[in-house]
Amino acid sequence: MELDLFLRYGPALLEGFGVTVLCWIVGSLGGVVLGFILACLYRWGPAPLRWVIYAYVEVIRGTPFMIQLFLLYYGGPYMGLVLTPIQAGILSFIVYGSPYFAEIFRSGFNAIPLGQIEAARCLGIPEWRIVLRITLPQMLVPITAPLTNFFIILTKETAILATVTVPELLFQVQSMMAETFTYVEPLLALSLFYWFMVTLTARFGAWVETRVTRHLSRA
Amino acid sequence: MNFSFETIWHNLPYLLAAARWTLIISLAGMAISVIWGICICAARISSSRLLSGIAALYISFFRGVPLLVQILVFFYILPYVGLDLPAIAAAIAAVGLCSAAYSAEILRGSLQAIPAGQTEAAHALGMPPMSLWRRILVPQAIRIGLPSLINELILLVKVSSLASVVGIGELTRVAQNITGQTYRPLEIYITAAVLYFLINLVISRAGLLAEKRLKVS
Amino acid sequence: MKKTLLGMLTVAGLGLAGAAQADVLSDIMEEGKITVATEMHYAPFDILQDGKYVGIDADIFAIMGEKMGVEVEYMDLPWNSILPGLEAGKFDFVIAPVTMTAERMERYNFTLPIGNATVALAKKAGDDSISVPEDIAGQPVGTQKGTAQLAQLQAFSATLEPEAEIREYGNIDEALADLAAGRLKAVANSLPLMGYAAVQRPGLFELVMPPFGDPKYFGWVAAGGEESESLIAKVNEILLEMHEDGSLDAINEKWLGAAPELPTTMPEVK
Repeated sequence: MELDLFLRYGPALLEGFGVTVLCWIVGSLGGVVLGFILACLYRWGPAPLRWVIYAYVEVIRGTPFMIQLFLLYYGGPYMGLVLTPIQAGILSFIVYGSPYFAEIFRSGFNAIPLGQIEAARCLGIPEWRIVLRITLPQMLVPITAPLTNFFIILTKETAILATVTVPELLFQVQSMMAETFTYVEPLLALSLFYWFMVTLTARFGAWVETRVTRHLSRA
Repeated sequence: MNFSFETIWHNLPYLLAAARWTLIISLAGMAISVIWGICICAARISSSRLLSGIAALYISFFRGVPLLVQILVFFYILPYVGLDLPAIAAAIAAVGLCSAAYSAEILRGSLQAIPAGQTEAAHALGMPPMSLWRRILVPQAIRIGLPSLINELILLVKVSSLASVVGIGELTRVAQNITGQTYRPLEIYITAAVLYFLINLVISRAGLLAEKRLKVS
Repeated sequence: MKKTLLGMLTVAGLGLAGAAQADVLSDIMEEGKITVATEMHYAPFDILQDGKYVGIDADIFAIMGEKMGVEVEYMDLPWNSILPGLEAGKFDFVIAPVTMTAERMERYNFTLPIGNATVALAKKAGDDSISVPEDIAGQPVGTQKGTAQLAQLQAFSATLEPEAEIREYGNIDEALADLAAGRLKAVANSLPLMGYAAVQRPGLFELVMPPFGDPKYFGWVAAGGEESESLIAKVNEILLEMHEDGSLDAINEKWLGAAPELPTTMPEVK
């Protein structure tokens, strides 16, 4: 084990990790917001809009991220859309994640017994309050685990951004290997960074879960 | 841009042949993912601390280590401990076992949404635990978690592309190879995307159908 | 060329297990079969055309198998898992063209050169602003990450005023796609690769002559160590026969239009 390698490549690896985290956080939070809007429009929107959203979900979810990114970045200029690598990376990340998040939110809406909603309507509670005070708090119970899952999956999808020369973590690790002919050290560094992100995400998910299930354990 | 439909038409048979491998890995991987995922989930929430601990470790390992690494371990390292898997078996095992960790977490989330009163009632009626699981908990957990499970299975179809690292000519790999020869990435990748889309459309339609059938109200 | 995640992993696995192998050549002869790996994604050397493996490497090695009297089994692997897979003993020999560098020659056993790996540029067809390699001064140029050609391009760029803006891609298709999309003014890689791209998409790419940097060669490799030396000797013997009878030149002419000067002794590698 050559520890001085870590010192020599430390700044480059940290810089790559920073880019990875930036794309991951901005991209996945954007994906959650867009996904939630899509799920709401799908639930309450007019029929033609619902068909459009349905098609969007199926097409984006059904095709590989690598190909979407490739088409956006390398195909975009033919349609006058010239993006920098990081712009293309973040934009495609938001688009790629949104249908998965939309489906998770849809499953959450479906998990609430219809009787509760009907009862609330009978009591004359306005629709927006039903969503805010009855549906949302309860739907967080079944969807926190799948949301955590998908945030974890997205940490690893950042590696695909290297396809369009985004200088993220894997990009830097590849340079380190090619230049030094070492394998174990860059692997270790890469694993540690990913492990750190995944564990932190899983912990955060578990914390949210205990908060949203408090009312259940009291019973 | 001169878009060449001829390139697509000419290479379609080879892409279709490659898609067959994608299908084989995906279908076998899905079976492992769901069945093994239910087992892991049951262990995770069981009252035995040992079982629960092992399941938690399993989940954190398979979610924490990139799938690419896992496939390599199955193919290149297991032979040294006397388990020489053929490439296709290594790919299916890695994809299925990894995805099972995600499925288990989805089911666990759904189980929490089932009112505890149901389990208590079943206990009070003297229902054996196996029946409770088979007839009450699993069907409802699958109903609640179905959209997320479908998400996971669709992801599985797409990560099957990692099987190329052990020499399997699946869809993404063959698309890249054809690109290397025709220098027409846009045409070939769009075709590959359409094939992935069609496979995944079947899965999500099946999911919607199942959702309708399982709907209680 | 590049080494990535896969490389380190499998090598890490090997360190754990330690592969022991007897003489590779005698094993091959005994079994009557040689398993060789390449990435069928490196035209004109390795091409998957209509579901069949063809190209310069395929043609040369078909003769090789015939002369050795063994059956040849081909494996298609991403470049990243080829050198590690070789060390793990998943196959006997690598017929992907590997650029000879001093560092690699320390780790692996190379055959005599089978191709020219000197760097050349491709530009967008009809782009008058680039007519000689020096014209890339100050311009965006793409190449493949972790390759010997990247190092050559960096050295060449350092002699220019101002230096070229070098961008690194995972594979050469992506760099060519970016050249077509207009983000790059040129792509640098080995001469045969760039020439072939220009021949395949004449309206899109054009070769910039002459090549630049140190003359470099592609060779094939076997695992480092004594056990593969007899295999290398056998392959070299057949390569020399093919130099003699003109079949090597014929194969190169078929794919490149002209046969490169290939040395018949091991070249000096810096």
